[in-house]
Amino acid sequence: MQLMSSNSALERTVNKVLSEKESDLIAQIDSAYHESMNNLESSRESIESEYERIIDSAKKQAENLKRQIIGSTRLNARNKQLLLVEGAVNEVFEKAKLAMRSVGRDENYKQLMNRLVDEGLSAIGNDNMIIECNKTDTELVKKLTAFTDRQKKIKLALSEKPIDVIGGVRVRSADLTLTYDGTLDSRIERLKPLIRKSIVQMLRGES
Amino acid sequence: MSETVGIEYTKVAEIKGPLMIIDGITKASFDELVEIESTDGERRLGKVLEVGNGKAVVQVFEGTTGLAISGTKAKFLGKTMTMPVSQELLGRVFDGLGRPNDSLPDPVADRFIDVNGEPMNPERREYPTSFIQTGVSVIDGMLTLVRGQKLPIFSGSGMPHNILAAQIARQASVVGTKEDFAVVFAAIGVQYSEAQYFKRSLEESGALRRSVLFLNLADDPAIERIITPRVALTVAEYLAFDLGMHVLAILTDMTNYAEALREISAAREEVPGRKGYPGYLYTDLANNYERAGRIKGKNGSVTQVPILSMPADDITHPIPDLTGYITEGQIVLGRDLFRKGIYPSVNVLMSLSRLMKDGVGEGKTRADHMEVGNQLYDAYSRAQEVRALAEIVGKAGLTGVDLKYLEAGDLFEKHFLKQNQDENRTLEETLGRAWEVLSSLPEGELTKIKEKNVRQYYKGKQ
Repeated sequence: MQLMSSNSALERTVNKVLSEKESDLIAQIDSAYHESMNNLESSRESIESEYERIIDSAKKQAENLKRQIIGSTRLNARNKQLLLVEGAVNEVFEKAKLAMRSVGRDENYKQLMNRLVDEGLSAIGNDNMIIECNKTDTELVKKLTAFTDRQKKIKLALSEKPIDVIGGVRVRSADLTLTYDGTLDSRIERLKPLIRKSIVQMLRGES
Repeated sequence: MSETVGIEYTKVAEIKGPLMIIDGITKASFDELVEIESTDGERRLGKVLEVGNGKAVVQVFEGTTGLAISGTKAKFLGKTMTMPVSQELLGRVFDGLGRPNDSLPDPVADRFIDVNGEPMNPERREYPTSFIQTGVSVIDGMLTLVRGQKLPIFSGSGMPHNILAAQIARQASVVGTKEDFAVVFAAIGVQYSEAQYFKRSLEESGALRRSVLFLNLADDPAIERIITPRVALTVAEYLAFDLGMHVLAILTDMTNYAEALREISAAREEVPGRKGYPGYLYTDLANNYERAGRIKGKNGSVTQVPILSMPADDITHPIPDLTGYITEGQIVLGRDLFRKGIYPSVNVLMSLSRLMKDGVGEGKTRADHMEVGNQLYDAYSRAQEVRALAEIVGKAGLTGVDLKYLEAGDLFEKHFLKQNQDENRTLEETLGRAWEVLSSLPEGELTKIKEKNVRQYYKGKQ
């Protein structure tokens, strides 16, 4: 009888311990489960935000790359066009200069030369000057200087050495300290940017 | 362009430093352009500084090295220095005098503009009120650049001002408008490697096609530096007021410009002012800086970011000192931050954008922008004080709030201020980062921000 009751007490104790342990374990499992779920949830959030960050950064990089490629391609194309246009402009210039060399010395040219001589003499303003011109214009310049009353006031000499220019004159003081370059070459060079603009407009069909 | 042909003189009386004195002058005018031809046919440019008593003092841009008194010719061109301008300038690289430096031909000009410029009529000036985004958090968030403003960067030798300049040039944009934006970049007396960096940086980012570069290298004649900012600003004005673009003109390094002025002044034996700089340094700098602005009735704007390196980091040096009088604020780079490896090393406590208040806020950027900027300034200032205190009493002697400020200061430097050289942050991102810094403080400390903005953006513990 005594043995039976002690067995039953033992059994109750064991059951109680087991039940307590079971509850503990279940609570621990529950807690671990919840912890894991929370970890998973927070990891998911951080993974998602990391994923979004990577995608955003890739999109930005792709956008930059696209902009860079488009930008440099447009720029290269524009630069090639500039070089081509410049080549054509230079060709036009060369041809124009050749044409000017062979142009006839008509009345208009005489008037131009007269104006250039006047400008040169007044710019230098000395009483002893030298005029230089190319071989073709030598006779014309001789006439222009001889038939004016300039010779009465100043000493004017035509240089014996012709200069290699398209046209126009170069006036110098006799001591060679002052020079006025009224040659067509220097004028063309000076006005080149304006002439270039007109040629480019013509080439592009803008005028 | 004038058709008149100038007179060539051969009587060189004296060559003194960068100056050449020509004798027997009958016709010459102030600022007139002069073409110098050396005995071996090399041509250089110069301009008339003084004329009288049959003499003319000519400043030779490319220097006088190699020029002889006998045999050198000086042709007075009868015009002042002009820059050919057209839209074709965009995407081009020029030297300090505005000559092509990219193996391409001279630009076909729409107009030829005198590089000396004309002062903007104060009556026609329009107050700057629109934001320019640079993509650099500390500038956009706290030292906002406004279209038409002149905001210099004060730096020191060896500091990354040129990297910052290139980053601004690459990233700057006007947000929320379809108006055209362009960058005119003038490098004045920079090293070859730096010039190559600027060029490559703009090419690789695709920003070159909306930029015009003027590169005056350190080994180019110093006198050329006098012209570089003038040429650059002439182009900027054309793009802005003729073509209606919003132009950001970056001039680096203006200290080299002032050195060139000093060199000429010394050669002319003028009475020196502070540290040997000429007495007219202030006027001269103002002539350049005051070319920034907006004009009533015109769409475009010229915004200037001149960069100057302060000799010995001395902010009282005449160049930063006088610059500060003329410009509308300043961005100061700090050596302490630079040593800590923080880029951009902007010392916000010494920096200020005077026009920020007019260019930010609701309808322009975001309603909380100005308040956030002020609060960040306040928090960082307090953090610096707490840092100093902690060095004396130790962290243990600080209050809980002090420790929060310490944390906010660190977060400000690492999360807001620090940025990669190729990182282009949007304003939203910048303000988001600013709120992350402010959210590390107790809510009650945010006294400069309206409650509704705190409720909307504050992420800290209530």
